[in-house]
Amino acid sequence: MSGAPLIQLNDVTKVYVTGAIRYEVLKGISIEVRRGEYIALIGASGSGKSTLLNILGCLDVPTSGHYHLEGEEISAKSDTELAHIRNRFFGFVFQSFNLLGRYTVAENVALPMVYHGLGRRERLDKAKALLARVGLGEFTGHYPSELSGGMQQRVAIARALANNPAVLFADEPTGNLDSKTGMEIISLFEQLNAEGTTLVVVTHDARVAQHARRVLTLADGRMLTDKQNSIAELTGA
Amino acid sequence: MNPFEHLRIAFDALLANKIRAFLTMLGVIIGVASVIMLVAIGEGAQTYIRKELMGIGTNLLIIVPGKTETTGMGRMPSGIQKITIADLRALEKRATLLNGLSAVVVSNAPVKYQNRLRNVEIIGTDQNFEQVRNLHAEIGSFISKTDVDAQRRVAVIGRTVRKELFGEANPLGRTVKIGETKFRVIGIMESKGVTLGMDIDDHVFIPVETAQAIFDQDGLTNILTQAINENTIERAKEQIKAIMMQRHAGEEDFTIISQQAMLSTMQTILATFTYVLGGIASISLLVGGIGIMNIMLVSVRERTREIGLRKAIGASQRDILLQFVIESVTLSVIGGIIGILFGAGVAYGAKAAFPVLPVDVSAWSVALAFTFAFFVGAFFGIYPAMKAARLNPIDALRYE
Ligand SMILES: Nc1ncnc2c1ncn2[C@@H]1O[C@H](COP(=O)(O)OP(=O)(O)O)[C@@H](O)[C@H]1O
Ligand SMILES: [Mg+2]
Repeated sequence: MSGAPLIQLNDVTKVYVTGAIRYEVLKGISIEVRRGEYIALIGASGSGKSTLLNILGCLDVPTSGHYHLEGEEISAKSDTELAHIRNRFFGFVFQSFNLLGRYTVAENVALPMVYHGLGRRERLDKAKALLARVGLGEFTGHYPSELSGGMQQRVAIARALANNPAVLFADEPTGNLDSKTGMEIISLFEQLNAEGTTLVVVTHDARVAQHARRVLTLADGRMLTDKQNSIAELTGA
Repeated sequence: MNPFEHLRIAFDALLANKIRAFLTMLGVIIGVASVIMLVAIGEGAQTYIRKELMGIGTNLLIIVPGKTETTGMGRMPSGIQKITIADLRALEKRATLLNGLSAVVVSNAPVKYQNRLRNVEIIGTDQNFEQVRNLHAEIGSFISKTDVDAQRRVAVIGRTVRKELFGEANPLGRTVKIGETKFRVIGIMESKGVTLGMDIDDHVFIPVETAQAIFDQDGLTNILTQAINENTIERAKEQIKAIMMQRHAGEEDFTIISQQAMLSTMQTILATFTYVLGGIASISLLVGGIGIMNIMLVSVRERTREIGLRKAIGASQRDILLQFVIESVTLSVIGGIIGILFGAGVAYGAKAAFPVLPVDVSAWSVALAFTFAFFVGAFFGIYPAMKAARLNPIDALRYE
């Protein structure tokens, strides 16, 4: 884990203004994300985890502060450039799987490649390979509604991996799953990280935090702790 | 991103909701079909009238008594001096730009053969009528100069008159009674059918001076003549005017109607008629567009999460905008194509069923309806698409 960080945030704030009320959701966050890391982002509900994740993933922009992606400031980027960054650099996994019901599983996985400009053939071939990688090689022609929640989330993970992203962001990926299927997702993350995928996972699930190499704790919009392997050591895993 | 991909996304979305897509299209289908049908009727009527007017003889000029202000049909005689055979003789002698002159007296009278009777319009005319009016006797002969000069009691009858009075019998040489006067049938006219609402076949032609005598008229209903060619029509009219005014004490108490003027007046009326019909139909197309906008707004709302997801995985605002605009254009264009096929089908179907119906689906109306449908989709799709494109991905993903 050497060289320039993949992502660097400097004193990032996020303020929402609703009518006369100002919500300062992030109050000066400075962190680095390096290649190959597996980061868990934990904290109380409302502490700003999702907001931070969205900013890291360029789905949202900071109110102030700096964001460097591979050393390049992104605050002046246009909508199209940010869309391009999300498409090429990042993959997203959400608590609710957000699969499109009118497409097959393989077509869902291929969706990011549509915006990458790949032809249909190539997309579907790659999608099938990705589905095999998350253990769903048999289900490429099925529709999402025919799959269990855990399987749907694995489809969503395969979709997030479609364009070989530099970072995979997940917001409460096990939140809608029972603990057994949740564990399957955790193992899959473990496996992906071992294969070199950088992961940033927002979670309430202590098991995710246990498996992560680094744990960031947010409290009321501030970074409370930033520990390497801490919980894993504490629990003696 | 390849625009073809946007088209695929649009088709997938529409196919996922076929009945709704069809109902949305229905407005455009009805609008386009009615544009096509109404314009077809309007255009067909124009073609029909043009053909009819051409049929009465090119370069035809009609001199009628009384002054009218319009160049077209219909006149309001101010009842001054009559037009006479002497006027015709003067024109014959002095007008150099005319090709034949024919005197016409029109009156109604009962025509009787044995026990059969028919009320017919009697046309008193002369030997030049055949050439000027482009109507010929098919059997026997038409009225000759001698017939006119000698005031002979001879008649040339139309097809309908022949059928009604004689049935299958040969009328040539037979005697009919027009009013109280006996006439010998010397010819039968070729069949021309109805032109401009006048049934040529339902007429009887007799020598002009004979007609004047039996109907007790010294004037003429009109004088028919022809300009020697298309380019001299205006000059021929000037010539007629000069000669006639000299004879009528400097008064312009007559009107010269040209076939050209009638043609252009009719064309103008019918073109306006076509545009008005097309315009009314276009309003229904516009209503169809509003239907599309309505459904697209619903669709954007329903697919809020999809839009958020697409943005998260790399769709730009432009991609989302294009996706929805292409979807609405696809709706309106498919609706337009169905409407064109339907409208043209009905128009040609009507023509096949009723061959006299003047119907003509023109390329321009198809092109216009199609273009209009396209722009209706684009115009009414823009607003919903912009709403979609501007959605904040985070809010959109959180949307229930
Ligand atoms: N668009 C918004 N407008 C106003 N307040 C918001 C908005 N989004 C989030 N918040 C507020 O910001 C705070 C942090 O939200 P979030 O980042 O979702 O927290 P977490 O994911 O840690 O539960 C919450 O109090 C939430 O109500
Ligand atoms: Mg959250």
